[in-house]
Amino acid sequence: MKHILQVLQFEYLTCVKNKAFIITTIIFMASILLLGFIPAIIMIFTGDTSSDGKETPVIAVVSNRYYDDKTLADEFQNIYEDYEIKITNENMDAIKKNVNNETYEFAVVIDDKLSYTFVTKNNSLINTETKLPLINGIIQDMYRMDSFEKFGISSKDTKEILSADISSTTIATGKDQTKNYISTYVMIMLLYIAILMYGQMVSQSIVAEKNTRAMEMLITCAKPAHLMFGKVIGSGLAGLTQLVLILGSTFASMSALSTQTLPPELQEMISFPIQTVIYAIIFFLLGYFIFSFLFGALSSFATRSEDINTLTTPVMLIYIATFIIVIFSINFGSVDTPLMVVCSYIPFTAPMCMLVRATMSDVALYEILISIAIQVITIYLLGILAATIYRIGVLMYGKPPKMGEIIKLLIEDHKTNKK
Amino acid sequence: MELKLTDICKNFGEKEVLKNVSFTAEGGKALGLLGRNGAGKTTTIRIIMGVFFADSGTIETDGSPIQRSNIRFGYMPEERGLYPKQLISNQLIYLAQLRGMSRSDAQKSCDKWLDRMEMSEYKNKKLETLSKGNQQKIQLAATLMCHPQIVILDEPFSGLDPVNAMLLKDVIKEMIASGTTVLFSSHQMNYIEEFCESIAILNDGHIVLDGKINQIKRSYPRDKILIISPQAEKLISFVLQKMSGEILTAQNEDDPHHVIIKLKDPDFKLSLMRVLSDSSFDIDCFQVCEPSLNDIFVQYTEAGI
Repeated sequence: MKHILQVLQFEYLTCVKNKAFIITTIIFMASILLLGFIPAIIMIFTGDTSSDGKETPVIAVVSNRYYDDKTLADEFQNIYEDYEIKITNENMDAIKKNVNNETYEFAVVIDDKLSYTFVTKNNSLINTETKLPLINGIIQDMYRMDSFEKFGISSKDTKEILSADISSTTIATGKDQTKNYISTYVMIMLLYIAILMYGQMVSQSIVAEKNTRAMEMLITCAKPAHLMFGKVIGSGLAGLTQLVLILGSTFASMSALSTQTLPPELQEMISFPIQTVIYAIIFFLLGYFIFSFLFGALSSFATRSEDINTLTTPVMLIYIATFIIVIFSINFGSVDTPLMVVCSYIPFTAPMCMLVRATMSDVALYEILISIAIQVITIYLLGILAATIYRIGVLMYGKPPKMGEIIKLLIEDHKTNKK
Repeated sequence: MELKLTDICKNFGEKEVLKNVSFTAEGGKALGLLGRNGAGKTTTIRIIMGVFFADSGTIETDGSPIQRSNIRFGYMPEERGLYPKQLISNQLIYLAQLRGMSRSDAQKSCDKWLDRMEMSEYKNKKLETLSKGNQQKIQLAATLMCHPQIVILDEPFSGLDPVNAMLLKDVIKEMIASGTTVLFSSHQMNYIEEFCESIAILNDGHIVLDGKINQIKRSYPRDKILIISPQAEKLISFVLQKMSGEILTAQNEDDPHHVIIKLKDPDFKLSLMRVLSDSSFDIDCFQVCEPSLNDIFVQYTEAGI
């Protein structure tokens, strides 16, 4: 135990004192904070000018007597609240000139009851995607009111009938998947990157010790299991330190953002429920240990850092496949498919799958606990296996062995130890 | 502390690496563990240190089965291994702690050994900034700073200049004098002869020769006499004439002043001495030619591997 703590301390300090580690952390934190405070910063520079009596943009509407000018103006005003609506009789040339010199933001010239010309300075996708459907709606309403009036129904009544508002309420009996969508998505991405990054850190550290032959000394000072556990836990804690710092800045950033006037739906989507964060940390730790032991054990056969990729490919494939399954499930809003349920109990896929289900779906606590228990047992067994592989692997130099050869070596080692 | 290996066998898969290896290293003495490359020296050392398990055989310290957790080992591997990018003091303290020292003791010992190795000024430097010889000295400090009871040195002199080699010699002599058991593996036979009382020669996994160096040397026929004299040529014809019945050959070797006389029987040494002392030859040296450790090593290992 003493050895584990000593190795752990050494590894942790080596990691957090590493320049690359410090720089990455600072860059991450700075960009997240900047992202959160950008709206506030922009407000400081531009906030004053918006209230500074800037001229209200004008929309010109030429009714050509097809519709009542006042009703038309009201209809436009309802939609374009922040604009000044100007009903005019200018001819097309004058309209074009005024749009071109930006006197008018844009102009609508009604050519017939159901057709109009939209005059704008620069046409863009925004015009066709947003403005035209709105204007279509206004003209449609005008036409309906006009037609109904002929049947003796007043435009006020018509308007009421046409604008019959439907109110709806959604009750999610399980978890509202839209609410945790963004937070889960972000957490999964973070988990994916973090496990991979810190797992690789363990790999690199083992290969470096082998490469510099520091291993020759270490292996005679401490038991391989102690070295392995100390190394994995030490790097894991360094990773956790970085994660906590990054999550901390994310929180600061989020609270800065929430003071801004964001629509409540968006605020809800980007909010990070504390529960999600706790689950993320638990499943990060579990996933980290599972994959670090695998990466560590396999990397102990590598002599050069280039060998790591070859050796860890099978593990990487499982890892990436899990990530793809999870991302698809989140995007299709179906996190409780049989595949996801099964995967949330398989130790190698469980960290990501169960995290998603725990945060986005209505999983019973006991199911989460079973998944966690399976992972903890797996970590223990993997730790022992990894230490054995490590003991055999670290003293082997040269071409890394194939998977079959590694299994053969393990069986032989087991036989020797039994004697 | 006496370290005794008895009938150690070790296979790696089909390959038999060690076959009934037995030898004893006594406390306060140095044992030279010799062998060609690939003979099984490193495997033997790793089995002693507990990195590998032996397939059969026993290892005892002072007569009882080895309890590695109670023994302080100092091991200097042939492949030097420390962290190039770490501060020297950091890694020395770390390794000493792993070998069971408290942090404060490790710090004190680190200072003491860096001072002993004349390396104090590099304490807070990274290892990679040092020359090869200086890195070697740091490695030695790492090996010795935990006050080891058993020290295993694998080629400790490679890469050292004569001044540093002298420093290392002094350190090793001090250790031996203080009762430490030293296992010394090297191909530089002069160092083995200088420090080691006993040797064990490994060849192809077997111990082909072990015992005290002087006894091994005495076990060779003592029928070759070296005489150094400025009158070498006259001396050759004189002894050939006077003792033709007792001498096989007498001839110059390498140096014109060196005469090698091969006797028919080692017992004729005394009569040769008498004949020469009665003569008026100017003799600088009269000695029995013993085989060098190098000769013994080559003799026992060249047939192998």
